[in-house]
Amino acid sequence: MSTLHLVRKSAFTTNDFAQCLSVLDQQDSIVLMDDGCYNLKHPLMDSLIKRANSTISINVISNHAQARAIETLAVVKQIKMNDVVELTFTHQKVITWQ
Amino acid sequence: MISSDTQIEDNLSQQNGLAIINSKAPFSSDYGKDALDVALIFGSFEQKVSLFFQGDGVYQLIADQDATLVSIKDYLKTFSAFEFYDIEDIYVCQQSLVNRQLDEAFHINDVQVLASVEFGKALNSHQHVLRF
Repeated sequence: MSTLHLVRKSAFTTNDFAQCLSVLDQQDSIVLMDDGCYNLKHPLMDSLIKRANSTISINVISNHAQARAIETLAVVKQIKMNDVVELTFTHQKVITWQ
Repeated sequence: MISSDTQIEDNLSQQNGLAIINSKAPFSSDYGKDALDVALIFGSFEQKVSLFFQGDGVYQLIADQDATLVSIKDYLKTFSAFEFYDIEDIYVCQQSLVNRQLDEAFHINDVQVLASVEFGKALNSHQHVLRF
């Protein structure tokens, strides 16, 4: 059972991202969108990348990050909003963290 | 004697001023825009306004942002009008910048980056505070 995690809040003000990571499974995917893009610079992100070992897909909505002047990381895939539609079909469930 | 009198006067004029704390990221809510509107209204009535940026509010000042990419009217551009409203005291919490791995690269000039203690002192010198 794979889950798509839509992260929409900054981990600097809420603990939604931390809660997301606590239930994250090996075959899951993460999409950072809206204020979730700020999490690219959060220490939790480093720990996620370390444990991700290529099975967990980490994505960011490119224009959401660009609007906020956030540099994206090489290991994070830049996608568009319409790619999220595709992802909802390739995963059994969707959880929105907001 | 004279110096202490002027100091007291300075303190009083400071205390009469309004402090506005910005604590929210710019694009996911209306708080930033609302705070801006209040600041400019007070400024246009020649009331002394100081702006404080703390927590995710520091993102409002970061350079090279583009709200049009997320279909939002770019109110951050209006920040450059502060000088015309005599809003000159703009303070940023240094710890908030460090936590977010942000450089002191802002899209407006004359921003003062203060360590936590100084930031608190500057805030406490105001009699009225609004937090957004």
